Amino acid sequence: MNLLLISLSILTISSLLIFLFCRSRKTSAYLFLWSLVAACGFGLWSVLSVLCQKELFLPLTGLDFRLSGHLPLFEFYIGIDFLSAFFLLLFFIVSLSAGIYAYGYLREYTGQRNVGVHLALYHLLMIVIILVLVAKNAVLFLAAWELMTVVSYFLITFYNESEQVRKAGYIYLIATHVGVFCLVLMFLIMGVKAGSMNFDQMRATPFPLGLASLLFMLAFIGFGIKAGFMPFHIWLPYAHPAAPSYISALLSGVVIKVGIYGLMRAMAIVKDFPLWCGVLLLIMAAVSGVGGVLYALGQHEIKKLLAYHSIENIGIIALGLGIGMIGHAYHQDTVALLGYAAALLHTFNHAIFKGLLFLSAGSVIHSTHTGDMEHMGGLFKRLPWSGHLFLIGSLSICGLPLFNGFISEWLVFRSLLEGVFHFDIFGIIFSSMAIVALSLIGGLAALCFAKAFGVIFLGNNRSSEEHHYQEGDLIMRGPMILLAVICLWVGLFPANMVYYAFQGTQAATGMLIPDVLIEAIIGPLLMVTKVISFGGLIFVGLSLLRKFLILGYPMKLTETWVCGYANVTARMQYTSSSFAKPILKIFRTILYFKIETVRPKGYFPVQARLSSSVKDVSEYLLFRPIFFIIKRFSRRFKWIQSGHTQIYILYILFFLFVLLAWKLH
Amino acid sequence: MNIIFLILSHWLIVLTLSPLFLGIISKVKAFFAGKKGPSFFQPYFDLQRLFQKNSVYSRTTTWIFCAAPIINLAAVLVLSALVPLGTFKAPVKFSGDILLAAYILGFARFFMISAALDTGSSFEGMGASREAFFSCLSELALFMNFITLSFVSHSISLSAMIGANFPLSWTLMGPVLLLVVGSFFIVILTENARIPIDDPDTHLELTMIHEVMILDHSGVDLGYMLYAAAIKFFVFASIMVPIIVPVQSGNTAWDMLIFLGGMLVLSVTVGIIESTMARLRLNRVNNLLLIAFALAFFGFVVKMWRM
Repeated sequence: MNLLLISLSILTISSLLIFLFCRSRKTSAYLFLWSLVAACGFGLWSVLSVLCQKELFLPLTGLDFRLSGHLPLFEFYIGIDFLSAFFLLLFFIVSLSAGIYAYGYLREYTGQRNVGVHLALYHLLMIVIILVLVAKNAVLFLAAWELMTVVSYFLITFYNESEQVRKAGYIYLIATHVGVFCLVLMFLIMGVKAGSMNFDQMRATPFPLGLASLLFMLAFIGFGIKAGFMPFHIWLPYAHPAAPSYISALLSGVVIKVGIYGLMRAMAIVKDFPLWCGVLLLIMAAVSGVGGVLYALGQHEIKKLLAYHSIENIGIIALGLGIGMIGHAYHQDTVALLGYAAALLHTFNHAIFKGLLFLSAGSVIHSTHTGDMEHMGGLFKRLPWSGHLFLIGSLSICGLPLFNGFISEWLVFRSLLEGVFHFDIFGIIFSSMAIVALSLIGGLAALCFAKAFGVIFLGNNRSSEEHHYQEGDLIMRGPMILLAVICLWVGLFPANMVYYAFQGTQAATGMLIPDVLIEAIIGPLLMVTKVISFGGLIFVGLSLLRKFLILGYPMKLTETWVCGYANVTARMQYTSSSFAKPILKIFRTILYFKIETVRPKGYFPVQARLSSSVKDVSEYLLFRPIFFIIKRFSRRFKWIQSGHTQIYILYILFFLFVLLAWKLH
Repeated sequence: MNIIFLILSHWLIVLTLSPLFLGIISKVKAFFAGKKGPSFFQPYFDLQRLFQKNSVYSRTTTWIFCAAPIINLAAVLVLSALVPLGTFKAPVKFSGDILLAAYILGFARFFMISAALDTGSSFEGMGASREAFFSCLSELALFMNFITLSFVSHSISLSAMIGANFPLSWTLMGPVLLLVVGSFFIVILTENARIPIDDPDTHLELTMIHEVMILDHSGVDLGYMLYAAAIKFFVFASIMVPIIVPVQSGNTAWDMLIFLGGMLVLSVTVGIIESTMARLRLNRVNNLLLIAFALAFFGFVVKMWRM
């Protein structure tokens, strides 16, 4: 704990210093970089010593830290358990990489904006996220949660001169505030029932099933908006493309994971839920997963595509959580533990590979000055580092063997299959449908990333202008390489991370994990990695054989065979829209296509145009009508909002007076 | 040491026998067309010829293009080690290897699609798009079959689900297995790019899926692709045959003969289908694949009902 406090204080002091020195760009950037490295170093040290349950070089002085004040209900009470430690681990890795990348990215920034303040806010965001993850008091949790929203709003709207960016920030702010309302209500109910706002007391309190369902609904909406479950996800596809890439990486890698953390914390507090809660979560997970990947297929913009993939992966995580809850309700501990552990591991993995993907997409955008995939192509030769790193990220996110995504998807599949074996007929129906959903998600995700990788990096360049492509230097590449290495490391040596995930599960559920179960999971996983490495050997053998077979022949280079046609241009290539068209066509009943055409007219047509885009159903058919109604309704109360500060102070005084009168009475 | 010997002997069978069944299919097709047709061993000659040739590469391509055939062949070889061949037990088996099998196929497919996009030709892009689309749907049917089979056998290992270790009883589970076999057959046809989903023979690029993806591959690379296709068919067939014929006489030689006989019948069936049917129109293929999924799904429902 003391190490984490050191890390927190470094961040606090440095963010203040950066704020003070924000006029001098160089000083603030250096301060930012070194305090970031130091804070993450101490943070990782403390987290790893908690996870390994060993004293790594320094004694661990207690896992809790509390400062009692005189405020009612509030107490500065923080502590690390395995669940917090697991999320802190991914947080430190992603924020370290994104931060170093940000340093490299902003070093060459010559615009007018105040970079120092931006960097100070980055540290502030780190502080509040750490506080959210370790808070053991509901009021502290809510305060940090609220600050997290506000600070990330400022980080998202870095390029605030653009109308689109401002709109995206606004949507983010509103959407997440709706969630806070549910969370306040949830913690109030918990607090009243437990008689304390501390998580320990709440955890010791039994909740009746009826109340548990209500709490679940509140937690699901409140945390679900942050995590980006399907009907509540509308802020994600706006915020991610608007934010700078490293902020997108942090948002997608960490901030939405904090939503998952909150959900798991709420589950840890309430413990027993009725069966239908798990079933609801499973259904929403399948909807988010399939919906997310389908919308991703319809996107032309890289970062929007990646944002929808975050929704898909949140779906996969929630499939694990859902099957865990159902297993818990059926008292099938094996299924429950497996489900939760799978969800946790996928949370970690997604943070890593999504961070990698956003950062490498950022490098591509940085050098092409566009995010539109239809104007890219053939970048593999010009930007080899970004290309290879993006490839590793793509293979990981598709859950393909050799990389980390496979390990966690395999675990999710295992938990669902265990569900098929251990539940009654009702449970079997849902777990088997979840397997179908997951395999559909897997197939579609592979299709989508084959498309993204192929269209961006392979083939010929579709861009009409000649760009001077420049790869980022080591300080921008380094963080991505770190993330890529972690992807590969977890993919080949999964035992440690699986063990940590089980520890996190233990902290979340309070169930003891039998060693037999861990062995029964890790054993086959080691077999998997053996088979994969064996496949690698075969690959090497076959490439050597190929080398041997073509030995002595000169390498012949020519044009691509296009059936004799000679005048080929890059624009004739298959585009990302045409690639995804067939699959989107069969889902057109649930997707909302918008097609605009200008037909060719006359004998000598001058122009013709076709543009197609996939619009978000839940935004256009659900939220826009709702917001429209709310807007019309709230217009009637406009007279309250006069815009004069004096009047607002009067309101405050008035309410204080009313409260005082009520209390004295 | 023992396990390596087992794997090597497994591969020996796979590598020597697999092209033969492609030869059988084309012989059947030639018979129906009233022709003498190429020899049974034509695929071996083709492979030999391709392995002796030089390759030509497009200037657009990157290492992905060269790596795809190698990855494809390596993937099917790894896959074949997970599948029991008649009486020969699978050298590698563990709980959950069906998932690995499906994902290895996915890994190879990712690189195949990327290699097709790597050429920058719209023909190959088209093929890649279709391949991605159809394989997505056939993967769904494949998984549904796996769920049903693992539900029947209470195991998630290929070796325990099919073949020697667990004689699936047709008297008990007849309707379920019938549905699974029907569905799995369509999956085999899709994954191996056969009629009515795809045509392995025509040279009309616009109508094809798999063939157009490998349009630019030549020489050794094409040979690897061809070999991988042969092994893939062999592996899929050897998953299916033990489900249809769960006979176990106890005598190894007899069992092996029954297995090979089953493989022969399956290849002849594929040949007959190819000779008597035309390729489906592209917008009808997805219906066929959804039928495969529906069959497997009904199999699952029947099994649940019988539980």
